[in-house]
Amino acid sequence: MSTVMKLAHLETKMFFRDRLSVFWTFLFPVAMIWLFGSMFSGSITGPFSFAELFIPSWIGVNIVTTSFFTLGTVLAGYRETGVLRRYQSTPLQPWKILAAHTVQGTVIFFISAVLLMVFGMMMYDLELPLYIGSTLLALVISILAFFPFALFVTSLAKNTQAAAAISSLFLNLMLFLSGATFPLELMPTVLQYVSKVLPLYYVIQLLRGTWNEAPITEYGFEVGILIGISAVSIFLASRFFRWDDR
Amino acid sequence: MIPIEHVIKVNHLSKTFGETQAVKNLSFTVEKGEIFGIIGPNGAGKTTTLEILEGIQKASGGEVEVLGLHPVKQLRELNNRIGVQFQATSIQKKMKVKEAMDLFASFYKGKTQKNELIEMLGLQEKLDVRFEDLSGGWKQRVTLALATLHQPELLFLDEPSMGLDPHARRELWAMIRTLRDKGSTIVVTTHYMEEAEKLCDRVAMIYSGELKALNTPNELLDDVSTHYVRFESEEVSYDSLLSLGDVIKVEKEEHEFKVFSENLQQTAYQIFKYCDEEGMELRNFKFERGSLDDLFVQYLKKEKTG
Repeated sequence: MSTVMKLAHLETKMFFRDRLSVFWTFLFPVAMIWLFGSMFSGSITGPFSFAELFIPSWIGVNIVTTSFFTLGTVLAGYRETGVLRRYQSTPLQPWKILAAHTVQGTVIFFISAVLLMVFGMMMYDLELPLYIGSTLLALVISILAFFPFALFVTSLAKNTQAAAAISSLFLNLMLFLSGATFPLELMPTVLQYVSKVLPLYYVIQLLRGTWNEAPITEYGFEVGILIGISAVSIFLASRFFRWDDR
Repeated sequence: MIPIEHVIKVNHLSKTFGETQAVKNLSFTVEKGEIFGIIGPNGAGKTTTLEILEGIQKASGGEVEVLGLHPVKQLRELNNRIGVQFQATSIQKKMKVKEAMDLFASFYKGKTQKNELIEMLGLQEKLDVRFEDLSGGWKQRVTLALATLHQPELLFLDEPSMGLDPHARRELWAMIRTLRDKGSTIVVTTHYMEEAEKLCDRVAMIYSGELKALNTPNELLDDVSTHYVRFESEEVSYDSLLSLGDVIKVEKEEHEFKVFSENLQQTAYQIFKYCDEEGMELRNFKFERGSLDDLFVQYLKKEKTG
């Protein structure tokens, strides 16, 4: 097994050894959907049902939580406690560390996405995405945009607390302003513009769209934006990789 | 005669961080197969020097050659051939010992000495234990094992016995000696003078980023002016000891005396003769040698008085 896969495998195992992160990653989103469902599921008007709108959105939100908390904050912790420094005088190259954590994050994210989807199917008659290949591709593009983005942003933090604070800020901002939880149409015009600056907005457009309406080829603009974010973030994350918090 | 092979060559090395000069004009060499100690108080520049040798930090001036390589420019090759035990680092808290050993072994091409190390360090019983559940001594063993999996030609140990109890420290020394006997050259920093004395073949003493002394512990100790005789007695008086020839000073604590002298043998004879004539009893008479600790204090004093 290559070093990347070995490290990814170990990191995934260790993730499951931490009960608290298992709860926040897998059960919290399901609980939120259940909560929103009990509030809104009967009152949504328009062509799409509650589940068709909210479950793809929360799968998008899960990309954000995975990238900022499962990856970013954890690596900031590794930086602070010297885990990364231990790698520094070995032949292990930084890109392999980033790649291993990306693989681990992808596995964990897909488990959480499947859980949400199954929950939606059982509770709210959600159906499989209309263009399933497109949805999968959209997920991959979103991951490639968000993981390096979060890895870069959290690497700027001085310590784990600061990384967690940055992560919470980004998460909350996107949670409320990207259309994931509240319909953008109900927001003031200014905030509607703000939402378009947030990368999660494009992820949600892409996921909702391919799930309910059209194949990914119809979403060239969103795909373009996300690929752009991805390219810049991959460059920044590997260029400014830091082994320790000095 | 076999020519001496230099594993490390440091020539006029300096390192500045902004205004502070952490390392000043440091020059020394490390020979193949020795345990080389770098000692000095906290903040003396030991870790900085080590990190320059490991290629983690760039030197501000001077030349450094490690295993014939330039540490920064040829870092990847260097990393394949050196092992490093950092000060106060951890591995993932929830990683088990055997997982860490497997992971680190996968970083290196070729066979590793994983199984030999497990046996040598007695790690068998801890293989399924998570790192967070190990005591300090066991954590040190594990990180030592991770640093030596690939049988590095050169092993850097930064304060390896920090926080260990005396027993664990002695065990660690034995392991370090075994690693040397298996062919590694070892560079170790410490601020425990006893460690330098008992473990190292040669010792460099660093203070304020400067090299103050470099020699074998034995020869360094021969320079110490603090040799003395020690004994216990209820009857001997302080003043009578001070009046003996060659005596520099006398320290008294309860019934224990330390008599410092220019000529220990002569002073010892005088003490015995005096006590014999006066019918006084002496107990636990010993010739004592100053430790590196004393030497260190001596250097610091010299520094302060100029």
